Amino acid sequence: MTPEVLSYAALACFVLGSVAAIAGFRVETFRSNALQFVLAGAGLALKTVSIGIFCATSPTHFFNSPADVCGLLAWALSFSYLVALAVCAVRSLGALVLPLVSVTLLLSHIFNRQGVTPSVPAGPLLALHILAAFLGYGLFLTACGASVLYLEQTKLLKRKVFGVLFRDLPSLERLERLELVCAWLGLGIFALALAAGGIMARHLNPPRPFWSDPKTLAAVVTLIVFGALALGRTARWLHGRAAALVVLGGAALVLLTFVLSHPLGRPVASGDRFIEPSGEVTATAHLVLSPITRSPDRPITRSEGSSA
Amino acid sequence: MSPMPEAVDALCLTGLSHYTAPVALRERLAFRAEALPRALGAIRARGFLEAAILSTCNRVEVLAIARQADPDAPARIRGFLSEFHGIPEKEFSASLYEPRGVAAAQHLFEVTASLDSQVLGETEILAQAKEAYRVAAETGTCGRVLRRLFERSFFLSKELRAEGGIGRAQASVSSAAVALANKLFDIKGRTVLVLGTGEMAAGIVRALRAGGVVEVYVASRTESRAAEFAQREGGKPCSIQKLGEFLALADITLVSAAAPNYILGPAQAKAAASQRRGRALCIIDISVPRNVDPAVGEVEDVFLYDIDDLENVAKEGRREREQVAARWRPRLAEEARECLRELEDCGIQYTAQRLLEHFDAMRQDVLQQAHAGGMDQRAFDNLARSLERLQGRILHHPLQTLKQAGREGDGAEAAAWVSRLFRLEQQASQGTKDETQ
Repeated sequence: MTPEVLSYAALACFVLGSVAAIAGFRVETFRSNALQFVLAGAGLALKTVSIGIFCATSPTHFFNSPADVCGLLAWALSFSYLVALAVCAVRSLGALVLPLVSVTLLLSHIFNRQGVTPSVPAGPLLALHILAAFLGYGLFLTACGASVLYLEQTKLLKRKVFGVLFRDLPSLERLERLELVCAWLGLGIFALALAAGGIMARHLNPPRPFWSDPKTLAAVVTLIVFGALALGRTARWLHGRAAALVVLGGAALVLLTFVLSHPLGRPVASGDRFIEPSGEVTATAHLVLSPITRSPDRPITRSEGSSA
Repeated sequence: MSPMPEAVDALCLTGLSHYTAPVALRERLAFRAEALPRALGAIRARGFLEAAILSTCNRVEVLAIARQADPDAPARIRGFLSEFHGIPEKEFSASLYEPRGVAAAQHLFEVTASLDSQVLGETEILAQAKEAYRVAAETGTCGRVLRRLFERSFFLSKELRAEGGIGRAQASVSSAAVALANKLFDIKGRTVLVLGTGEMAAGIVRALRAGGVVEVYVASRTESRAAEFAQREGGKPCSIQKLGEFLALADITLVSAAAPNYILGPAQAKAAASQRRGRALCIIDISVPRNVDPAVGEVEDVFLYDIDDLENVAKEGRREREQVAARWRPRLAEEARECLRELEDCGIQYTAQRLLEHFDAMRQDVLQQAHAGGMDQRAFDNLARSLERLQGRILHHPLQTLKQAGREGDGAEAAAWVSRLFRLEQQASQGTKDETQ
C-alpha cells in the first residue's frame, strides 16, 4: 500500500461521508451520527496512516508544498469534525465540513509536491509546530462551520421557515456550545503551535520581529480574535449572532494566514530553494511573501530534511 | 400444541374504526378490559383456533384464525359481536371491514405502525396492540400464527419509527411548540411563564412538561384564575405586575391572555433580552387576537411565534408523516405476504410431522399386537424393520409432493388435502383434549 493509494482511499471515505451527510437531510437511512462517525473516522485513519508511511519513507520531506498543506489541512479538518461530532453530536455539520475535507484532499492530489526548505532547524519542535498549527486551523474552521449553521438556523427561526433544513439543524444553544468548544480547543493548540514557532524563530539569522512576517502577524491576530471570542463567550459579553460573526472573521484570518504562508500553486520568484519529495534540491528561487525561504545565503544540508 | 390452520385464508379480521363508524357506534361495540378474556373465550367457542381483540377509542377489531379457509368465518365473528354486545347485526354490519389472509395481516401491520391512526405516527396504538396481544396470550387464544403476526407487527412498527422517522415530525400544535422551543435550546430544566389561563395553553404546558420543563409560572389579570391554573398544572402563580422580572427569568413565555390589545411590546422584550445576557427567549403567542406586538420578533435573541406558526410546523410535520406512510405501505404489504408465506411453510412442516406421527402410531400398534400374539424376538425384529421400510416407502412420495407444493405456492392446499385424507386434524384435536385432561 503506497501513501498515495491510502490517501485516495481516505478521499473515497470522505466523499461517501459528504454524500451521506447531504443525503441525510432527505433520506432517513443516512440520518445517523454513527454513519458519519464511521466514514469520517475511516478517512482520518487512512489519511493518518498515509502520512505516517510518507514520513517513514521520505524523512527529508518538510510538508510545506502546496499538496502537503492541503493534505494536512484535510487531515486536521476531519480530526476537528470528529471531535465536534463526539462532543456535540451535530450531524448536519458534516454537510459543510466533509465536502470541504474532500475538496482539500482532492487538491492535495492535484497540486505539486515540490516543497521549499525551511529556514529553521528541523526537529521535534518543527514537527510539533506544524501539527499543532494545522490542528488549530482545523478546529477554528470547524468553529466557523458551526457559526455558519448558527447564522442559518437563526435566519430560519426569525423568518419562520420550517422546512427540512430547519428540522435537521440542531438548536442554537448546541451550535453555540460547539463554537465555544472548538474555539477553546483551537486556542490552546494554536497557542502551542505559536509558542513552538517562537522558540524556533530564535534560530533565525538575522533575527526578525514577528510583525515583520505577515504570516506570523496574521497568526497572532487569529489567536487574539479567537481568544477574545472564547473569553467573551465564557464571560457572556459576546454571544449569539455577534459571536458567530467574530468566528467568521477569525476563519477569514486563518485563510489569510494560509495564503501568506503557503503560496498554493503561485508562481515563485528566483532565489527560493526547492526540494523534491525525495529530498533532492532541484532549483533555487526566492518567494516574495513566505519568510521561511528568505535565506538565500544559507546552504541546504541533507541533515535539515529529517523532520515532520 | 394447537393445530395449524390449513391456509392463509384462515386468517380473518373483522372490525370498524374512526374511518368507517361514528363514535356513537364505536363505543357500543367497544370491549371493556375486564370483559376481554370472556369475549376471547366466546370467539374460540365459535370454532376459531386463535383470537385477539384490539379495542381502543378509535377502533374495535377482532383478529381470528379459523380452522380452515372457511367462507363463513366473518359471519361467525359478526354473530359474536352482535350476541356479545346485544346489538342487532344490521346496525353495524355496514360499518365493518373484513379483510382476509394477506390483506388482514397487512391491516394489522398498518394499524400497529400507526399508519391507520387519526394522527399518523402516534405512539399509543403500539402500546394498545401490545396489550391486546398480552391479553390474548394470557387467555390462551394466541397461538403460533397470531404470535408471529403480532411480533412481526411490533418489530415493523419500531423500525418505521427508528428508520422511517414517522414519529419525528410534529403533528400537533402542542408538539410544534415544544419543537420550536427545542430549536432554540434544550428545554430540559427550563422555566416557562404562562400569561393567561386558556385551555390550549394548558395543553402546551403539559407538552412542555413532558419535554422536561421544570418550573412553570402563571400570571393572569385575574389572580384567582392564575392560582387555579397553577394548581391544576403544577405551576406557581405570580403577579402580572412583576411581568418584566419574570419575562427575564423564563426561557419560554406562553401567552394565552385573550386581552383586547397587546400586553407585551418590544420595549419589554428588549429589557428582558438585555437582562438575559444573550440567552435566547422564546415567546409563543397563541392568543387570537394576538397579545404580543409582532415587532417583538425583531428584537435580537427574542424569537416570537404565533398560533399560525405553530400550525405551520404541525402541518409540515403531518405532510412529512404522510410521505413516510406512503413509502412504507408497499413494504408492509410485502412483509404481510412474506409473513404468511412463512406461516404456510410452517403449516406444511406441521402437516408432514403429523403424517409421520400418524404412521408411527399405526406401526407401533401393529407391533404391539404382534408382540402380544407371542411372536418370537427374531421374527418381531424382522417385522419391525420391514414395517419401518414400508412406512418410509409409502410416505416418501406424499412428503416429496408436500414439499414441492410448498415451493410452488400450493402448499396450503396440499397440506389441507393430506390432512383431510388421513384425518390428521381430528387426531390433533383428540391429542390436545387428552393433554388437557
